[in-house]
Amino acid sequence: MTQFLQLLFGGLALGAKYSLIVLGFVVIYKATGVINFAQGGLLLLGAYLAYNASQTWGLPFALAVLVAMAGGALVGLVVEFLILRRMVGQPTFAVIMITIGLLYVIEEVATSIWGAGNLNLGDPWGLQSVDAGGVVIQVKDLWTIGLAAAVLLAFFALFRYSRVGVAMRATALDPEAALAQGISARRIFALSWAIAGAVAALAGVTAASGSAQLQPTLSILALAAFPAMILGGLDSPGGAVIGGLLIGVAQTMAAGYQVNVLDRLPWLGDGFDTVLPYVVMVLILLVRPYGLFGSKEVRRV
Amino acid sequence: MTTATPAQEGAGGIGSRTGIPTSSNRRRRLGRSSRNRAMVVRYQDDLRIFPSLPARVGLAALALFWAFGSQGLSSFWLNALTYAAIAAIAAIGLNLLTGYTGQVSLGHAFFLAVGAYATAHFGAEVGWSIFLWLPVAGVIGGVVGAIIGPFALRLRGNYLVIVTLGMLFLGEHIFKNWTDVTGGGNGISVAGALPTLDTSKFDFLGQRWDRNQGWFWLSWALVAVAALLAKNIVRTRPGRAMQAIRDRDLAAEVIGVSLTRYKIAAFAVSSAFAAVAGALYGSFQGFVQPSDFGLVLSIQYVAMIVIGGVGTIFGGILGAVVVGTLPFVIQELSSNYDLPLVSGDKGGLNGYIEIASLNKMLYGLLIVLFLIFEPHGLAAVWFRVKAWFRTWPFSY
Amino acid sequence: MTALLALSLLAAACSSDKKTTTSSSSSGQGNSSGGGALATTAGFDGTTIKLGVITPQTGPVKLIGDPLTNGNRVWFDYVNKELGGIAGKYKVELEVVDSAYDATKGVQQYNAIKGDVVMFAQILGTPVVNAVLSQLKRDGLAGQPATLDSLWVREPNLVPIGTPYQIQAINSMSWYLGEPGNKDKKVCTAIQDDPYGKAGQSGIDFAAKEMGFTVATTAKFGATDTSFTAQVSQLKTAGCEVIFLVATPTTTGGLLGAAAAGGYAPQWIGQSPTFIGILTKSPLVDYLEKNYVVASEGVTWGDESVPGMKDLVARQKKYAADQAPDYYFVFGYNEARAVTQVLEKAVALGDLSHDGILKAITSLDKLTFDGLTGDYGYGPVTDRNPPRVNTIFKVDRNAPGGLAVLKAGIESDAAKKFTFAG
Repeated sequence: MTQFLQLLFGGLALGAKYSLIVLGFVVIYKATGVINFAQGGLLLLGAYLAYNASQTWGLPFALAVLVAMAGGALVGLVVEFLILRRMVGQPTFAVIMITIGLLYVIEEVATSIWGAGNLNLGDPWGLQSVDAGGVVIQVKDLWTIGLAAAVLLAFFALFRYSRVGVAMRATALDPEAALAQGISARRIFALSWAIAGAVAALAGVTAASGSAQLQPTLSILALAAFPAMILGGLDSPGGAVIGGLLIGVAQTMAAGYQVNVLDRLPWLGDGFDTVLPYVVMVLILLVRPYGLFGSKEVRRV
Repeated sequence: MTTATPAQEGAGGIGSRTGIPTSSNRRRRLGRSSRNRAMVVRYQDDLRIFPSLPARVGLAALALFWAFGSQGLSSFWLNALTYAAIAAIAAIGLNLLTGYTGQVSLGHAFFLAVGAYATAHFGAEVGWSIFLWLPVAGVIGGVVGAIIGPFALRLRGNYLVIVTLGMLFLGEHIFKNWTDVTGGGNGISVAGALPTLDTSKFDFLGQRWDRNQGWFWLSWALVAVAALLAKNIVRTRPGRAMQAIRDRDLAAEVIGVSLTRYKIAAFAVSSAFAAVAGALYGSFQGFVQPSDFGLVLSIQYVAMIVIGGVGTIFGGILGAVVVGTLPFVIQELSSNYDLPLVSGDKGGLNGYIEIASLNKMLYGLLIVLFLIFEPHGLAAVWFRVKAWFRTWPFSY
Repeated sequence: MTALLALSLLAAACSSDKKTTTSSSSSGQGNSSGGGALATTAGFDGTTIKLGVITPQTGPVKLIGDPLTNGNRVWFDYVNKELGGIAGKYKVELEVVDSAYDATKGVQQYNAIKGDVVMFAQILGTPVVNAVLSQLKRDGLAGQPATLDSLWVREPNLVPIGTPYQIQAINSMSWYLGEPGNKDKKVCTAIQDDPYGKAGQSGIDFAAKEMGFTVATTAKFGATDTSFTAQVSQLKTAGCEVIFLVATPTTTGGLLGAAAAGGYAPQWIGQSPTFIGILTKSPLVDYLEKNYVVASEGVTWGDESVPGMKDLVARQKKYAADQAPDYYFVFGYNEARAVTQVLEKAVALGDLSHDGILKAITSLDKLTFDGLTGDYGYGPVTDRNPPRVNTIFKVDRNAPGGLAVLKAGIESDAAKKFTFAG
């Protein structure tokens, strides 16, 4: 039972990490209709910025995180302004490829600046943990879950109540109609990239802190979050969080019980926990491509 | 279907309708719609494989270089160009699927793996000759593609990209665990598939060759075969159907093109090309492991067709040569010159950007720049240059 | 014919300069030029011997590759500058290529330079050597593996040195379980999921059979994994008290970090490549000093009582002043010494061709290292006899290189019984 609870909590913590990443995907998809493969790069950059702010400039950690988020937002803005703006109206394929190209560039720029070795983020959580009846809970994981919840609430408030949020939804729904209402699509696109950059930085910090390490391979985490995004639906923030948590728990459980499962089902193969999310994703795509909570795609003739 | 469609050859490029009809691609891009190609008056002309005299002369020159000129190349460049040739075969295949049919796939590497492992098994392990294992690898790739195709191709745009990505990860897992055939995560030697092609061991009337010369001859001959095959597909009925699907799938359906049939056929053919390339890749290199066939490789193939030219056979080859030889060019440059900001291979850190980093960075940068400034790739540049000379002195 | 010649000349002009000449005679048989001078051959132009080095210059394992290659360089610098070269006259030049610790990249790099070198002075990493080996055999070349897998002992194309991983594993178990109070501790393993991991595991399995313990569970991870929650949970749930670890330094940090964060403190015994000096600069150092030891061989860095170590430190100061004390540096230095002994033998036999090198390897009596590592018996490949002695090091942030000897000269009965397949 203790193991089950331990894994459940570990899964929720991993899921919260995924959720933060997926929220970044969702905000860009909602506005522009494109999956941003460069999200992993923004995440990496955000984590390194936080490292720089806290370790090199010696800022307090909370402030360093804010600096990283601001930096992430700025990078998002610049990328949108220099590159994505030119791609408006281009085929989906071309835009996806651009974001893949960007991912490569950002990853390698980060590797060149900060090197391929491990860095210590300098977070106050370190290796601290609390013991809750045999279940060891890392302080950092608690923070991750809390931050994911806070970001989700902020998204909810933004899209539901703020003028900007409503404008974003309108643009996503029908850009021409939104334009006719005096909403600037350009500003909305820029804004969504800025938000995605900031959220990615936050996701990067949660992924690289605590016992984890900061190194360039961190950006792979964004690929691992794809299944959560598909499960939750590409355009639903609430779905993003639920999808993230489900995938996180499923993956951690599969890893934890791998040995027992493999005794009975050896054909699953070593390390099936790492592909389990993708199996779920492919199944979901075949049955319900718009995910659990996404809006169904309509084809107009 | 009218005679206008096949004239999309050349710099026709990928249709603007590949994705789901979201806000961003609802508006068509204006400008640059010129075909960069002489007007075709007769239908027969459009069906010709090598339309003009200069094209024929150029091809003859390339053939001469292939046969004789290449013997002056160093081992290093023969090696690089062999890798490029193998890549070209797979890129031609991907272009059939993405460039001509408009279906974007990040799963191309998976089919290379299928071909490579088929060769590891039938070529190296069982000991078949290349005349057997090469076609068999292609057939296996095609069949696997035809099996997976119907599932994947139900999806479009963003979703198709994601599901093919998923396929890539699942494939890697299978290859890691199917130890009997693939050697698992340790990889497997494919060196036994074609051991006789070391041309340094040949001696013909005192003539001696480099060890990679034979591979250069073989691989580029196969590129020619693959290109002819692909050209024949795209200039005939199936090709026109594929392009109709690419340009507007709904319209194609309305005029009687079976979407399912042609999409799956394109997927299977493209997979077969990839598998053949994978078979050659494995046997040339002598070793493969599951992690070779990951996202990075798939992205390289997409980069090849983007840089070379989406929707042209010639562009795929061009892109494969550029992307395939890029790492070798960089390696050569950095070992002979001190590139600014780049750490050389002389050990220690005397620069900042590692060579492996520089490669990836350039792939990314090239993809971004080409898509922004020349979405139809190097092939379009080439066609424009050609048009300029053809119409001289009235070029403008 | 002239037209063809012109075409090929044109092509040659566009191609790279130097490699054209060497590759045309790359098949290995040199053209004999009489007298006392040695025949030129692939990688040897009559004055300079070219050696290949396949090592990770990028990626996480660069941490091991860089000091190791530095060790190669320092030894050869010493040979070139102070001894005048191999046999006093042939200078050594290294052709270093990057494998990124990836088997396929290693093979590609091998293929690219195999025609230009006399032999390989370093091929780093069990997965890479494993991949390159079949090519070495096919091409008839020799290489020095910078990995301690026992599989290499009986390979005629490899020149292994040092106590194999399997022996390391056996000796450390015999040491640990022999300490007072440890007899019935629950043994587990945590291994990298590749040939390197399997090497350590097979040593532990052998020890289990010989000493009568069972391995409770085995946690596996990939060489580039960054998340270790599942593995830690697996080990903890199984109640592991001593865990034999087969990893590279980056994953060591990640896995032990996750364990430390989870409040889990068993005894970790790491295979020699699990450690790197900079780990003592991480927040994990307290945990490492308390819960982790390294199974390796040789002596503490700077131990002047060992003549080999005294020379090594002096030469390091002279030729690579920037190099921090590092045990991978020592290994690289030793492998260069081994390769030098092979080359000297080949020169004495009068043949530096690929075949000549293979012959020289079987004609060697043994390889010696002035006490830096144990003597390695050579001769016909079936007679090779690796050293079977290990040293257990503990982490000490104040020691040079971060390690201090905990127990030296461990040579267990089980280790002596271990036979090498071939």
